[in-house]
Amino acid sequence: MSVIEQLVSGLGLPNFAVLIPEIILLATAFLVFIVEMFSKNRKLISSISIIGLSATGLYILAIILGILKLVLSPITLKEATANPFYNFIIKNYMEQFITLYGLYVVDLFSLVFKLFLVLGTVFVFIHLRPYAEAKKTYYGEYYYLILFSLFGMFVMVSSPNLISFYVGLELMSIALYVLIGLYRKDYRSKEGAYKYLIIGGTGTAIVSYAIALLYGRTGTFDFKEIAQQLISAETLDVGLIGGLVLLLIGLALKASAVPFHHWAPDAYEGAPTPITAFLAIPAKIATYAIILRVVVEAFPSLTETWGLAWAIFAAASMILGNIVALRQKSVKRMLAYSSIAHTGYITAALAAPTGMGFAALAFYAIVYLFMGAGAFLLLASLEKNEGWNNTLDDFKGLAKKDPMTALIMLIYMFSLLGIPPTVGFIGKLGIFLALIGYNVWWLAVVLVITSIISAGYYLRVVANMYMYEPSFKGSINVSLMEKLSLGILAILVLILGIYPTQIWTLTTTISSLLMAGVGR
Amino acid sequence: MSVEFVRADIPWITITILLPLIAAVILMFLNERFAKPISIAISAVIFVISSYMLLAYDPSSYKIQFYEKYEWIPWLGVSYEVGVDALSLTLYWLTALSFLVAFIWSTNINKRVKEYFVAFLVLEAGSLGVFVAWDLVFFYIFWEAILIPMFLIIGVWGYAERIYAATKFFIYTFFGSLFLLIGVIGLYVATYFQTGELSTSYFALVNTHLPFTVELIFFLLLALGFAIKVPMWPFHTWLPDAHVQAPTAGSVILAAVLLKMGTYGFVRFSLPWFPEASKYFVPVMFTLGVIAIIYTAMMAIAQTHIKRLIAYSSVSHMGFVTIGTFALNDFGVNGAIITMISHGLTSAALFLAAGFIYERTHTYEMSKLGGMARFVPVFATLFMISAMASVGLPGLSGFVGEFLSLLGTFKVSILTATLAGLSLVVGAAYTLWLYRKTMFEEELLDEERLHKWKQLKDVSASEFLSFLPLVIFMFVIGIYPAWWINLIQKTTEAILFKIRLLGG
Repeated sequence: MSVIEQLVSGLGLPNFAVLIPEIILLATAFLVFIVEMFSKNRKLISSISIIGLSATGLYILAIILGILKLVLSPITLKEATANPFYNFIIKNYMEQFITLYGLYVVDLFSLVFKLFLVLGTVFVFIHLRPYAEAKKTYYGEYYYLILFSLFGMFVMVSSPNLISFYVGLELMSIALYVLIGLYRKDYRSKEGAYKYLIIGGTGTAIVSYAIALLYGRTGTFDFKEIAQQLISAETLDVGLIGGLVLLLIGLALKASAVPFHHWAPDAYEGAPTPITAFLAIPAKIATYAIILRVVVEAFPSLTETWGLAWAIFAAASMILGNIVALRQKSVKRMLAYSSIAHTGYITAALAAPTGMGFAALAFYAIVYLFMGAGAFLLLASLEKNEGWNNTLDDFKGLAKKDPMTALIMLIYMFSLLGIPPTVGFIGKLGIFLALIGYNVWWLAVVLVITSIISAGYYLRVVANMYMYEPSFKGSINVSLMEKLSLGILAILVLILGIYPTQIWTLTTTISSLLMAGVGR
Repeated sequence: MSVEFVRADIPWITITILLPLIAAVILMFLNERFAKPISIAISAVIFVISSYMLLAYDPSSYKIQFYEKYEWIPWLGVSYEVGVDALSLTLYWLTALSFLVAFIWSTNINKRVKEYFVAFLVLEAGSLGVFVAWDLVFFYIFWEAILIPMFLIIGVWGYAERIYAATKFFIYTFFGSLFLLIGVIGLYVATYFQTGELSTSYFALVNTHLPFTVELIFFLLLALGFAIKVPMWPFHTWLPDAHVQAPTAGSVILAAVLLKMGTYGFVRFSLPWFPEASKYFVPVMFTLGVIAIIYTAMMAIAQTHIKRLIAYSSVSHMGFVTIGTFALNDFGVNGAIITMISHGLTSAALFLAAGFIYERTHTYEMSKLGGMARFVPVFATLFMISAMASVGLPGLSGFVGEFLSLLGTFKVSILTATLAGLSLVVGAAYTLWLYRKTMFEEELLDEERLHKWKQLKDVSASEFLSFLPLVIFMFVIGIYPAWWINLIQKTTEAILFKIRLLGG
């Protein structure tokens, strides 16, 4: 018997049924990889990627809806098992959702985040082709690197274990280093990629050191078992605290929280703009998700410690991100700092380690997808026009030249600022509720004051678009397809702002599952 | 005191909030020339509905009428909850009227027409919502949502310094309202810990008993949000800039509707929620109110720009609302409410007058005007009535409200009432000064202006139509105030209920 056969006979086969989305995604990535070697037909590659992604997304969506139906509606077990679809879900997602020998967990938490990661990536793909063609930097590598990076994120949000978390993190990051540098003729692209490579590499090194410390102290990689060890540990020693601190630093670095944010503005500005959107949205959302899972599952007895740590990171990110954004001339760089500020808003929820706080974090992280991705992708569409440099001056008079695009940008800007009836307001409302409910008034006040500061730069974009005469000389040409996809995002921002109930249900459910410890 | 509701058979309020939004969306896809008639028709329909509600309202009960409630986010206890008591209803009606006037006046707009009317329709939906929402999340959504269209209205259709003024307006009010949000959430959380009920409804929050110090903090947080909107001295500096730069219809809405939101907030939320804190802060509010009345009246005298003068006079009038509110008795609060309506009518009319003058002469500077009365007699008459109503001439609307406010204040603090009363003289002085410098002194005119004035056209039909309802209601309120006071009496009692219980 070979080694593998021995393993299988000892432990049984892993449950591959729950891994179908991952399998589809990986198969698509390899298919694209192979097709790209032989064919220069980018349309084909693009179509394969989008179809594969959509299949993954729809599959996950169906599973989520099934689980919610089972959890939230009064349906008896007998009725449910009679239905083959529900039976499949109960078997694979409710009775046993850890697979690959305890290294991979497929729970509602990971499914929800995966769904939105896929959604964000689909929008990136839609905008990638027109952008890259116009910029003459169109390579097939984009597609499979994005798909591999996305697979890394899947592994990350599904990891119950420090090892699979680390593998996912590395897979995501390494693909991203290359993606940022793919704008081959541009110096800043290389600079950004190099900076991210060095600092991101340091980050993963710190994380691996943290893992080593935690393993040395507790003898396990598993989040839940670490938590057990922590509860039974009488004193906190260097190993535990050191491990926790280094882990938090590494995660903060990946989430570009101040003071570990220095790579972000350069990487964001240098990267081809659709990649910036990928970097700023799916990569960030996956990072927030794993932050949430690690701190809640592995360190539940140290809530005060990591709560305070994230409160400080969050406050620093909000203050620095918003103030520096005020001084930017380039809208792309401004949005990069705005993204740092949003890291602050989102992680601020961790200062209130309650069910409300986790729900608020998950909600804001998810809805940030629509406004954040929208804003960056809109820049990508505008950048295709000859001579457009993303400066604030370029935006002057956009409402006259292209009223539809300007209106969409206006919606994104007010949503990022957090004005109702956009979804950004509901996100901030959730964070406020969590913070005040947990008596973290000082952070709520910091959030308020920095939000007011942020009005300065978001309003400047709107004022430039609507209140000045056009100063950009060239013509503005945004294709119908792009307008449609941006418009969908903008409409989602408005609809979710008026009717956030469904997403609130979702995030409240995953937060309570996470709290109850049955999240896996 | 438990609150009872009369459910609406037909959801009139929801209809009036949705109509302008739907119209705005439809307008975006239609040709520009449909913008004006559709907007006027929609706002006329809303005005008719609101007038119907005003007449159908039963003033003899404490019940919340035309009430509707639908669940929204059950996990947070947020629901869509609208309805009116007399305070809501009168301001709701005033909003509908002001928008009708603003739309009729806007027929001569010719710059980016479609966007202009879309912005105003969205603004109308938000403004109507503020006064009828009983759920605090919805209240806040409406309260903030109006910032977006107003920002654009000032910034796109305003005058030279419009972008500065629009940004200043936005950031000032945004600043205040975020603190308001924190206060409301704090109260929501406190209510939850006290009663275990998770609800953002006004009726759930009103029953919370807070420790005195906490009440003071929440009062201050809310008051910051409201005071900036009112605006009370020293938070008023955004107002003159916003008014001077806004287009005429924008100024009308700003003065008649947006300023009322702040005073509405004080009466609606601060008094019933924080009775002890309200009592505690009476001296502060009286001081700020009197400073606002006197200081801004002095500022108004010093102005040479018509709109800036009217803007300062607005701050001064809102000072009467503040002291009336914090007199914490029937007379005072009734007076405050009537002053709000009256100020809505008169300031709207005065800004229309300013707009009329600018359209004919292309200047707001009083030194470049004067002696127009003989050439535009109809306008001069309308302007005169509005000015007199603003001054507080008995028989017109301004008198009733200010008299009641002062009467209420007099019962509490003779000094405050005396100071505020004396400044009425200053108020008369600057308003008459404004009138004299623009309409009279024909003998001081030079040849060039005299020649120009001879070509002046008197009010057009649409301009007359927008003045007309304002002037009519100035008389209606002035001559028969009893109907209005009867309308709001029970609401005032309900608002002061908890303060009464404190005694003293």
